[in-house]
Amino acid sequence: MDFDWTTFTLEVINFLILIWILKRFLYQPVLNIIDKRRADIDQAMADAKRIEAEAVSLKKQNEQYLIEWENQKEAAHAQLAAELAEIRKKKLAELNQKFDEETDRRRILEERRRIEYEKKIEEKAIAQGTKFVSRLLSRLATPELETHLFALLLEDLANLDEADKRVISEAVTDHATSILVQSAFPLTDTQKQTLSSVLCEPYQTGFSIDFQCNDTLLAGFQITVGPWVLHANLRDELKFFSQPLQHEK
Amino acid sequence: METTATAFYIGPFGITSIVITTWGIMLGLGVFCWLATRNLSLEPGPMQTLLEGIISASEAAIQIVLPEHARELLPFITTLWIYLVIANLTGLIPLLHSPTGNLSVTAGLALLVFLSVHWFGIYHNGIRHYLKHYLSPTPLLLPFHVISEATRTIALAVRLFGNIMSLELVALLVLIVAGLLVPIPLLMLHIIEALVQAYIFGMLALIYVAGAMQSQYSKKENDNE
Repeated sequence: MDFDWTTFTLEVINFLILIWILKRFLYQPVLNIIDKRRADIDQAMADAKRIEAEAVSLKKQNEQYLIEWENQKEAAHAQLAAELAEIRKKKLAELNQKFDEETDRRRILEERRRIEYEKKIEEKAIAQGTKFVSRLLSRLATPELETHLFALLLEDLANLDEADKRVISEAVTDHATSILVQSAFPLTDTQKQTLSSVLCEPYQTGFSIDFQCNDTLLAGFQITVGPWVLHANLRDELKFFSQPLQHEK
Repeated sequence: METTATAFYIGPFGITSIVITTWGIMLGLGVFCWLATRNLSLEPGPMQTLLEGIISASEAAIQIVLPEHARELLPFITTLWIYLVIANLTGLIPLLHSPTGNLSVTAGLALLVFLSVHWFGIYHNGIRHYLKHYLSPTPLLLPFHVISEATRTIALAVRLFGNIMSLELVALLVLIVAGLLVPIPLLMLHIIEALVQAYIFGMLALIYVAGAMQSQYSKKENDNE
């Protein structure tokens, strides 16, 4: 265990130099790079915290927006529902009105159809009745009935009112028209003379009388003097009988 | 065992092989650090990761003792650890001896630790406050403080010298007595002992410096109160 002062002194100096060398070439570069990395990490952490804080803030803001949006949506939904209800009510009222109008129109149309149908039915019934009666009367149309109707004709001619007589007179004098007498059965000479005398006597003038047979009259007579026509036959009676019934409808 | 053989002289000063070994260690460390730290980047490679790991571990160890002065003490303490590890392990290389197996070397390192304790204590607290703690809790303890300072410095030097020198000596004796390969287990023990002794020396230096500084902190706190 020897001790050398030179070695002791040089060792102290050497160690101090070694400290400088390591500090210059090892500690400072490595510590600098470590500090720089730590600074970068701290900066990254600070940025991350700042971003996190911003994210939290944005999240809260977004949640607030969502709540407001939800409220606005509910309010808009309620308003829309109210407007839809109002529109629905209005449309329903219009639809009911149209329905009522359509119902009234259909009811009127149906009523009109019904009336027309009833009218047709009645006309048909009247026609059938008239046909039936005319067929029945055609079977009853006999010379005896013709005789009775001739008597009624004479009675009617005798009871003509003044207006009819004036019309006949004007027709005979003004138009010099012959008188057309149609009968369902041929008239006897007696009947012709009787009828001529009845027709000519009131007017004190002579004019021709044309006697014709017309079996469509069924029974009876039809006398035509110009515009004046006397219907004294079953056909026209049935027609007169059926027309008032139709007119009543 | 002749460990202080003079290799050559510079004037009146004889340069021993121990000093040459120390220069070699310094040169190797300097070149290695210069090459390793030329291209440092934020994305470290394996070598940079190793260097950063060593320095970060050293800084963390110092921070445990002195959290606020880790960067300030890091060059001194870390250089102690690095130099002592390399110097202790140099004895494993054939034809070389550990510089720390020489009392002159360990005494020089112990003297630097002794001076560092007072330097950091005075630098941070002022000489008056620093010297005051030798008189606390009572001036009667001043001789004991002085003796403590001297003995712990001597113990620091002798502990390291004794352990490293004895390891080399034992290995040499076993080699002489038993044969060529028998000292291998002792050489493995030498590795462990070299690491442990380097750690102990550096940690004791750190504790001594921290003790000086923290005693002044307590003094300052008492003065403030």
